[in-house]
Amino acid sequence: MNSRRELPGEVELKVGFGSHVETRKVEVPEGDAPPWDVTTAHKVVGADIERVDGVLKASGRAKYSYDITFPGLLQGMILRSPVARGKLTALELDAAKAMPGVAAVIQLKELGHKVRFVGDEICAVAAPTLDLCRDALELVRATYDHEAHNVDFLTASDAPAVDETGDVVEPWPADDGVDKALGAAKTQHTGTYRTEVQTHSSLETHGAVAKWTGDDLELWMSTQATFGVRGEIAGAMKAAGVKCDSVTVHAEFVGGGFGSKFTAGAEGRAVALLSKAAQAPVKMMLDRFEEHTCTGNRPAALMNFRAGVDAKGKLVAWDARTFGGVGHSGQGGGVALPDHFFADSARRRGRDHKDIATDTDPPRPMRAPGHPQGFFGAELFLDELAVLGGFDPLALRQQNDTHVIRQEQYRLGAERFGWAKARNPAPGSPMAGDDPRWLRGAGMASARWGTLGSDGRNRDGGGSPHAVLCRIHQDGTVEMRSGAQDIGCGMKTVLAALAAEELGLRPAQIRAVMGHTTDPSGPASGGSTTTPSLAPAARNAAFLAKQQLRKLVAGHVGVPEDKVTFADGKVDTGTAALSWADACKRIGPNPLEARGERFANYKGEPFERGVCGAQFAEVQVDTWTGVVKVTRMLALQDCGVVIAKKTAESQVLGAMIQGVGYAVHEVRIMDRQSGRMLNGDFLRYKVPGPDDMPELDCMLLSVVNGHSNCSAAGLGEPPSVAAAAAIANAVFNAIGVPIRHLPMTPDKVLKALAQRKGAPR
Amino acid sequence: MTASPHEPGRPVFSRRAFIKGASAAAVTGAAVAAATQEQVPAKPETFAPGEHEVALTVNGERRMVRVETRTTLLDTLRDRLDLTGAKKVCDRGACGGCTVIVDGITVNSCLMLALDAVGKEITTVESLTQGDKVHPLVQNFAACDAMQCGFCTPGMVMSSLHCLQHRGQPTRAQIRHDLSGNICRCGTYGRIFEAIERTAAGSSATGRGGGK
Repeated sequence: MNSRRELPGEVELKVGFGSHVETRKVEVPEGDAPPWDVTTAHKVVGADIERVDGVLKASGRAKYSYDITFPGLLQGMILRSPVARGKLTALELDAAKAMPGVAAVIQLKELGHKVRFVGDEICAVAAPTLDLCRDALELVRATYDHEAHNVDFLTASDAPAVDETGDVVEPWPADDGVDKALGAAKTQHTGTYRTEVQTHSSLETHGAVAKWTGDDLELWMSTQATFGVRGEIAGAMKAAGVKCDSVTVHAEFVGGGFGSKFTAGAEGRAVALLSKAAQAPVKMMLDRFEEHTCTGNRPAALMNFRAGVDAKGKLVAWDARTFGGVGHSGQGGGVALPDHFFADSARRRGRDHKDIATDTDPPRPMRAPGHPQGFFGAELFLDELAVLGGFDPLALRQQNDTHVIRQEQYRLGAERFGWAKARNPAPGSPMAGDDPRWLRGAGMASARWGTLGSDGRNRDGGGSPHAVLCRIHQDGTVEMRSGAQDIGCGMKTVLAALAAEELGLRPAQIRAVMGHTTDPSGPASGGSTTTPSLAPAARNAAFLAKQQLRKLVAGHVGVPEDKVTFADGKVDTGTAALSWADACKRIGPNPLEARGERFANYKGEPFERGVCGAQFAEVQVDTWTGVVKVTRMLALQDCGVVIAKKTAESQVLGAMIQGVGYAVHEVRIMDRQSGRMLNGDFLRYKVPGPDDMPELDCMLLSVVNGHSNCSAAGLGEPPSVAAAAAIANAVFNAIGVPIRHLPMTPDKVLKALAQRKGAPR
Repeated sequence: MTASPHEPGRPVFSRRAFIKGASAAAVTGAAVAAATQEQVPAKPETFAPGEHEVALTVNGERRMVRVETRTTLLDTLRDRLDLTGAKKVCDRGACGGCTVIVDGITVNSCLMLALDAVGKEITTVESLTQGDKVHPLVQNFAACDAMQCGFCTPGMVMSSLHCLQHRGQPTRAQIRHDLSGNICRCGTYGRIFEAIERTAAGSSATGRGGGK
């Protein structure tokens, strides 16, 4: 445990990783636990500890919102618009209301209001079973005025002009700096890249169980923002006399979110209203088609780049224009690019981005919003530029990236992956000894998450005034409580690990409870901020509770407080070693309770800004069928100090698999005529399955960043950034032709193979 | 499904109607086959439309439930018997989240009508917990961190259990094959493979790695 200094104020920390250790002065806020740094010896933190709710989940005993039930529980269901654009002109609900068993029918869209996409909410019913709900909705008659709709952003009136291959043909805006630098470049290149809409496809659909007691409302909601949706529902129910503190949200187990579950949505408001109207608890969970079509997505992107390198491979000019293919709200399609390569390039001021609306469900954030699409485009473009200029793609990146952590990851990755051997020396031809049917190749890409915001706040350090509660009970039970949610990323395990480290216990001895808004507030699980926001607060909570117990034990035994230490499940007073259980017997019927605050990030200069990563991929392309098989991947990932190693690795491995889906399989297919999603299920919307698994390897780099008392960083987004880009580069290396449009389905691969030099026609 | 947008007054294609139709066809087919064979197979019990009180054998226990002819086994387990380990994820047999074992074979319980399960042995994930003890497979799922959000996990456990019961010492290729009906969106497959292999090896030691 750290003992450098227990007083607030300026503290010298040894920050960094491996051999890159530097001494930095930081300002520790008053009341914060003494910071850990590279010299701290941990017993629990960083070890291979087991997920604290793993057995509960695997045994089917974990109760998700979908599993909550009450006597007299009703089911709810929504009628949705079959029309993509128009107006609701008539709605007849009487027959549904009169149907035996129907407990409530509510209207969700007013007559004359716009219908904005196929799936827009019209009305909802509550009845004892789903079958009866379905029967009731079939009795509803809704009439619409249908207007012409468009579900393809490339055919929208404000879309850029593209040629038959999809390349943007509009001339680039003139820019003296860029034009001059490009003109002087030894090699220059331009290209257009495109991605399709990906759905989050959380396995637990959106929805909730609502239960009223008088004016108090309890919601068991599948959400990744317990406090956010509490405020949202309270706001929506204001007219019914509901206040924020009369709404309680529970989300103890959440079946995935990936960015789609920040809002209670129409279904959240509907279930609360239905329950009120029916005067009974109501459950409304969306079905799979609704989940695909009405709960957000990663939007499509169109990206156009031009750049040039000098004879040494240094990027000298860089320019980009990007477009987001979004839903009816006309926003949310921003694209993030690997700007770390272009720091020294001549760049056009004010890179342009435009979102193009369609009559579809609007996007929602999805793991590293904007990044997988932007990194796919820009990193494939860079590989093409490297090949044109005669450079190794990895060397080109090493040449243009100055970040000390990524440089280390490039080096470690190349070695561990066997970069030189894995590369196909003659792209488009089989590698030595291979069956000529199969083309192999390898690629890599970089990743970045978090930057210093324009307001000077660390975006990657978490923050906000959140808190965590630690309670130590007379029987020795230690509770760690946060009202935020663990959507599967392992936050409960992080709370348990930190408490165990502070108290000298094992994580399995800690009971971590999350997801009830009756506990102290925490952030939404978004932007990889949950861990950096809550971990320092959790440390503080356990640290303060320990101080209370120390005082109690010292007083009882009659020794000075500083003689009492906590380690290996024992409380040592200097004269005797009490077992944890015996020490806790001093606690009265009221548990010791400490609330650990999340103070602001340290002032001073932390080690590095941003979270870094790199991924390597190897593919095998079947020249007969056009099927891309990802055979091997390696992720190198920094995530601050690694707290719970095993759950952290799981997150990285999972992000790589989602990247396989994004690169090779996943595409939302819309019917232009009806405006409806054609593959809104799991048969035709293909997410990766067991047979699509590459060999996966990941290397976590534990970095003391010096932002907070435990240097925690989040891991939701960072490993999601590079995966698809690395795979696209591997396919380019295998077949010698870049596939500039994700996903790389067989049709596109066969078309690309036909463009190979000397390909049979 | 009502959730699928439809035009007013137009009948909606109902999956349950399809299942009913399909099973009726199967019965007819069986009758034709029976007429040409010496051994007449046992005729499945048939039910008239509407609600029926039937007994299901779940985890060795006889449970009385009231269900409609169109009610799936999944809805029956979850909504009538409060056995919520089997999850409703796609409700179309495409994800394996609702996997249970019926008469020794894995079944997507969203694709089986409750009435078709009458007289059969139904085993759910809940059978793997006995008091304080859990099945070694469950322990290994936790030890290998073969999950993240955990929503697919009970279905994965049931498919894995069947794989182990059926194969004893499965190869990696057999494991991939046997789990190919199950989807995990968080991406935990490699560690699931590992949990199965550790169970087969009779060890609950902690593993690492992503499925090499």
